[in-house]
Amino acid sequence: MHLYIAWFIGVAFAVLALTLFRRLHAQAARAERHAFEAEQLRLLAEELRGLSDHAAMADALARALTPLAAAAPIVLLLRDQLPAGNEAAAVHLLGQPDANQSEGLWLSLRRGLAFGPGTLRHEEQNAWYLPLRSSRDARGAALLPLDLAPALGRRPHAQALCDLLGLALERAATERAARRSREAAKAQGLRNTLLATISHDYRTPLATIMSAASSLLAQDEKLDARQRERLARSIVEEARSLSRMTDNTLQLARLDGPDVRLACDWESVEEVIGAVIARLRLRDAHVHVKWRLGPDLPLLRCDAQLLTQALDNLVDNALKYADGSAVEILAKREDATVLIAVRDRGPGVQPAWRDRIFDVFRRGPENERPDGSRGAGVGLAACRAIALAHGGSLSYRARSHGGAAFELRLPIEEVPE
Amino acid sequence: MIQVLLVEDDRELRTTLAEALRVEGYEVRTAASLADGLALLAHSAIDLVLLDLGLPDGEGEELLHRLRKQKGTPLLVISAREQDGLKVRLLDAGADDYLVKPFSIVELLARMRVALRHRGQMTAAAVTRYEQDGLLVDLAAHRVSLNGADVHLTPTEFKLLARLLRSAGQVVTHRTLLTDVWGAECSEHTHYLRLYMGQLRAKLEADSADPKRLLTEPGVGYRFS
Repeated sequence: MHLYIAWFIGVAFAVLALTLFRRLHAQAARAERHAFEAEQLRLLAEELRGLSDHAAMADALARALTPLAAAAPIVLLLRDQLPAGNEAAAVHLLGQPDANQSEGLWLSLRRGLAFGPGTLRHEEQNAWYLPLRSSRDARGAALLPLDLAPALGRRPHAQALCDLLGLALERAATERAARRSREAAKAQGLRNTLLATISHDYRTPLATIMSAASSLLAQDEKLDARQRERLARSIVEEARSLSRMTDNTLQLARLDGPDVRLACDWESVEEVIGAVIARLRLRDAHVHVKWRLGPDLPLLRCDAQLLTQALDNLVDNALKYADGSAVEILAKREDATVLIAVRDRGPGVQPAWRDRIFDVFRRGPENERPDGSRGAGVGLAACRAIALAHGGSLSYRARSHGGAAFELRLPIEEVPE
Repeated sequence: MIQVLLVEDDRELRTTLAEALRVEGYEVRTAASLADGLALLAHSAIDLVLLDLGLPDGEGEELLHRLRKQKGTPLLVISAREQDGLKVRLLDAGADDYLVKPFSIVELLARMRVALRHRGQMTAAAVTRYEQDGLLVDLAAHRVSLNGADVHLTPTEFKLLARLLRSAGQVVTHRTLLTDVWGAECSEHTHYLRLYMGQLRAKLEADSADPKRLLTEPGVGYRFS
């Protein structure tokens, strides 16, 4: 009898121990699975953070889902907005779903719901259709082919992986929209500023041309030779300033565009300055410009037409405000740059305006512009845009004994053999 | 009298230019279309052509190609177009110069004078001596002198000078100079050109930053004036 009881107790303990052991083992396995799943979520989140390309994002999700699926998962991502019909062009597709599967993916995307075993919807399917949910709506769907005995407990994890991608897609879409509206605002802003500047700056020389030309036409016999010459000269001058403004405005708009291509080549500073002076002489044979070139000037890698345009603007500007003082062009090597300075001994730029002379500024009716800034509106802005496009800079310096110095610095590149 | 053919479709500009040129003593024939321009070119003795590009019945470029198949008549392009590469393409196709609208009559006359000054001088293959403003170049003897004093040029410098002289008055593009002087494999090596041009100017110009003979056309090429 005692023996029997002892045997019974022994067996009971054994069963108890085995049950406990099994439960512990199951708990350990579950803990391990949870740890694995948490780690997988962390890894996918990290990977998605660095991606913006739809194909790469779909790949990342498919790789994470593969251990849960009986065959390769299929992933469908919205490229941008949800289309009215199930248009293939509106989505990125990883894998090749048949017509039925495709239908299921679109349905899951549109409804934001999961289908398949354990979902109480379309239980007969041998696959899960999981929406890629964002904070608002689904941004895509994934199809996971399942075995005959699906691991129903794994679905929450699969859904969590899908939702990570949904959120990442939402984030990317928000960033895209913000970038688009920033760009649109910038383009609109530049366009408005340019239009305002143009409408003001173009009307002034046009008014002079109109009045001078009509005076020559209507009052011819009342004018003496000197008056006629003065009128004709102002027509030429104003037409030239209109032409310059047109070039500068076009250049500004072009350099502000998304992909600016410069026609860069190896250029000699001496030649570019020489060409600017030759052009100047053609307009005015007695023009008073001096130049000084430092020794060992290296060749510059730049767009000759743009550099010529910038220097031409700077010299023209200096001549206008030099008040009869000599205008001087100076070029020298300065560390890793070439400095080209255009200097005069005129009144210079008032301190309050020094930061703003390079902006395309809008001129209100109150005409609050610096003395003698006429025409600088697009000219200096274009010069600076040209300098920046070359990786250089343009700055203003007040000269110690009076006068203005506009200093253009361009980086030196190594000339090939 | 020098006969100028002006092909320009804008009536205002055509009339103004024609009058200004007549005042300077040129005889001017005008055409407002490509067809008229080609007809005048075929039936009259033209010494210089001023050519607009966008014409109502076609591209002015067509006239340049037809002209260059037969004659070396100087041709100056006058156009509002300033796209990258267009200037270079037309100069390589044989245009002597390219003026971007708007230009002053002073500038046009200066360019026409340069184009006409060298007309026929270098196109005749027999010409091997060039002499102007104190510069004497004997292409056959490889001799150069400036104001009576011999100037020593390296073989490459001499080749470069000779190439520019061959097209005196015309803008010669970087690529053409590089190909003809250094060879086709060097057609992109603009830095060679800058270096040798600097040396040539140092030997032949009073102030190399203010050249009178070896002129720079920024971004396009050089011209022997």
